Amino acid sequence: MKELLRVENLCKNQILNHVSFTVEEGEMVAIMGPSGSGKSTLLYNVAGMDQPSEGKVWLSEQEITKLSEDDKASLRLHRMGFVFQQMNMMANLNILDNILLPAMQANKDKKEKRKTKAELRKTAREWMEKLSISDLAERSITQVSGGQLQRACICRSMMNEPEILFADEPTGALNKGAAGEVMNEFIKLNRQGTTILIVTHDSKVASRCNRVFYLLDGSIRGELVLGKVTSETEKQKEERLNQWLMEMGW
Amino acid sequence: MIGKLIWNDIKQNKLLSVVTTIFMAVSAMLLSLTVLLFVNLLSSIDDLMQQAKTPDFLQMHTGEWDEKEMAQFVQEHTEVKEWQICRFLNLENGTIRLGDYSLADSTQDNGLCVQGEQFDYLLDMENKLPEVLQGEVYVPVCYRARYNLNIGDVMQIGSREFVIAGFVRDAQMNSMMASSKRFLIHEADYQAIKEQGEEEYLIEFLLQDGTDVNAFITAYEAEGLPANGPAITKPLIRMMNALSDGMMILVVFIVSIVVLLISLLCIRFILLMRMEKDKKEVGMLKALGIGNREIRRLYLAKYILLSVCGATLGLLMAYLILNPLTKQMQELYGVSKSIWLTGSISLLTVFLAEGLILLSIRHSLKKAEKLSALEALFSTQKQKRNHAWGQYLLIGFVVAAGTFLMLVPQNLYSTLASPKFVTYMGIGDGEIRIDVRQTEDIEMVTEQIVSELEKDTRIEKYTVLQTRSYPAFLSDGTICNLMTEMGNHTVFPVSYVEGRAPEKETELALSTLNAKEFGLSVGDSLQLLIGGRKITYTICGVYSDITNGGKTAKACNMEECVKDDTPVMWSILYITLKESVSREQWMEEYNHAGVDAVDIADYVKETYGQTLEEISLAVKVATGIAVLIIFVVVLLFVRLIVERNRYSISLQKAMGFTNGSIKKIYMMKGFLPAVAGVVTGLLTGNICGEGICGIILKSFGADGFQFVIAWEMVFILIPAVALMAAGIAVWIGILEIKNVKAFECCMGKE
Repeated sequence: MKELLRVENLCKNQILNHVSFTVEEGEMVAIMGPSGSGKSTLLYNVAGMDQPSEGKVWLSEQEITKLSEDDKASLRLHRMGFVFQQMNMMANLNILDNILLPAMQANKDKKEKRKTKAELRKTAREWMEKLSISDLAERSITQVSGGQLQRACICRSMMNEPEILFADEPTGALNKGAAGEVMNEFIKLNRQGTTILIVTHDSKVASRCNRVFYLLDGSIRGELVLGKVTSETEKQKEERLNQWLMEMGW
Repeated sequence: MIGKLIWNDIKQNKLLSVVTTIFMAVSAMLLSLTVLLFVNLLSSIDDLMQQAKTPDFLQMHTGEWDEKEMAQFVQEHTEVKEWQICRFLNLENGTIRLGDYSLADSTQDNGLCVQGEQFDYLLDMENKLPEVLQGEVYVPVCYRARYNLNIGDVMQIGSREFVIAGFVRDAQMNSMMASSKRFLIHEADYQAIKEQGEEEYLIEFLLQDGTDVNAFITAYEAEGLPANGPAITKPLIRMMNALSDGMMILVVFIVSIVVLLISLLCIRFILLMRMEKDKKEVGMLKALGIGNREIRRLYLAKYILLSVCGATLGLLMAYLILNPLTKQMQELYGVSKSIWLTGSISLLTVFLAEGLILLSIRHSLKKAEKLSALEALFSTQKQKRNHAWGQYLLIGFVVAAGTFLMLVPQNLYSTLASPKFVTYMGIGDGEIRIDVRQTEDIEMVTEQIVSELEKDTRIEKYTVLQTRSYPAFLSDGTICNLMTEMGNHTVFPVSYVEGRAPEKETELALSTLNAKEFGLSVGDSLQLLIGGRKITYTICGVYSDITNGGKTAKACNMEECVKDDTPVMWSILYITLKESVSREQWMEEYNHAGVDAVDIADYVKETYGQTLEEISLAVKVATGIAVLIIFVVVLLFVRLIVERNRYSISLQKAMGFTNGSIKKIYMMKGFLPAVAGVVTGLLTGNICGEGICGIILKSFGADGFQFVIAWEMVFILIPAVALMAAGIAVWIGILEIKNVKAFECCMGKE
């Protein structure tokens, strides 16, 4: 499989210490670790939201770490998708408009093959249909549940057909039922070919990924391959992961 | 999408959006009003002067003159385009009645004239030449409102009656600052009434374009042509006209600059606060990959929309206010014809004002762009606290600026209303002034008056100042005639911009215009030819003067050994009476004896009355705007302070604090910066305000200006009004405290 993301010797002040790993196309990788281990810092540095003090990050052939702020922003807009724990959305826009926001911006940047507004709206509605929130289009963000909002965030992140989706504790603010639903959506997306990098401290979430990195004090202390499609049940995978985490000292 | 975002944002933040629009509208209104007034004034004065064909130079004269000599002079000077001699029948004010009013108390020289033959026309209210019939009179328009006159009323001169057939605009003497007023009558009536007054002449010249008027005046005087009255040039006439309304424009200008500054600051602060509130959303947009430029565009689009609304509203308001403010201007000079010019310039000013505001917004937005997506997503409390300090500072600043706004126009008003103000215009600091001008034998008449004054025990002090024209030798080798006022200038001194009054016989003080033209300052020397002898004078002082063309000098009387046989052009006597003496009675007695005695306080009132009325209106407008701004801004920021501190207020309530005790704390928090603001406003208004007004008044001719402060207004009334406006706003602002619930803090909404 082709390598999509390469992280080499990444350092950030005292938080990250020479972190290196790769993610291949179509993989779903989790980064786990206790609070303060540097998981989110790693994700934001890898995604180009922050500038590492040392090290390099590539997305395919593109070295992210040497890009300007504007170029990084453009890269995030066109080639990456994001889902945050706090489900950040614009309070002044309804759900549909929030989903459309990055797509309209990306469309504006295109020099050719621009989509019409109606086409974009159609795509947004399709994604909402897929994630079972099509009836929420005109609602304000305060009129929907946390799970629904997070699904809307996933729709928004998928609008520009990203090569990789970054998720920072996507189920952290959700109840058990909603968290399960959101994870199912991630798995569906991954099966459809989207590469996903998830930061989480929830072993239930991580157990559904192909690989798991364990981060402690800013360094990767171990890697567990859970496999893509195996005969293992989800429960068995979760138990294997928990066993491994215990061995790692968590 | 952007439209939806903006519209929803405006809907959700109505108060902030309305306040921002108000600031933009008031700034646009005041700046465009300043420009509209200024352009209107200048263009209507120019229109009037052009239609009236105002002379480039005019020399007043009383007594004989030789027509052949004049014709010879004109023939030799090709720069003369046209010339004429206008008659002015100076009447005794006591003999004139206008409608129900007598002009006995007028300090103006009122007289009759007929229409100019070739130029210097008196124009009717349509700026056309009126057709005067026998028995009719056209009255100077400045008297219409003053004496409540209507067409058909009667003007009485002695026993003769004239029907007021209309009103005239006199481009030369329209302003109350011009000391004479001309009534227009028919030639036959003029001849019939001639014996009732003293005939004076206005020797007037229209010169070719580009002629050096000063050189022409010098040539005129060198020929020894009739010149026993003041010489006046076209620029001086324009300045006199502009000065009275210019003061009001000055006040509006100061107000508009202060309001623009307040607006810039408040809008910037509102924006920073909004951005702090939106920080998470901005962080999210940045994280999603939406560039800084796009985010900036999003904010700018909202402010552009608000500024378009503000500019439109401001322009509308400016045009609504313009009419009452230009009422007098239109009456005196007519409606400006340059509608397109004034319209486009005011539009341009509004664009500039709004552009400035938008530039400042863009600058703030660019500064905020330095924040990375992560910093924006995970904002810290430290930045919040910085803005809280800013709010208190801003309350202080706005109250200071409001106090400044009320104070400076008020100080300008009391300075102009003070009798002392005339000393900045070249008039002595006396109680009574007697002018001996344009009579056959000025010296003899002056001597007679002096001998009467000598005998008069009611007089505390007096001085005689006699003006003669002496050739002055300039450093570049040229010679020019210098109108020099000889006498004791220390008794009733004028205000000196530099140096002091002449005390020795070899000392000379120059008016600012002369000092500038000759390139001389205190300590330099200048030679004058007096009684056939060249006498070297040392310049001891420079004073501002708008009388007699503004080009004068002052020196002490010469020693008896220098026989000065130069004819006196005019004499002025300044008198102060003993405290127990009734000024009115004394003046009546002397006026009855044919002496033209004027109370300087009345002179000030009459000369600057028009201007004072307008400034008084501008003071009221400035006070209203200042009170409104203090109230709105303090209310807004106190509400914001309460909103920001909702969590801690709720916590205090949860701990058992009562509404009253929390309100007290916030009352102090809002009111203390207001008190500091008033003190700052008083200090800056009195110190910097004087400097600002001084610079602008200098361009009008009044130099070395100092504020005359009305203490009770400045130190009691204005601070009280400012504090009351701020206090009421704080009180209304903290009413919100009672709506904060004690349980809110438990919900973790900090």
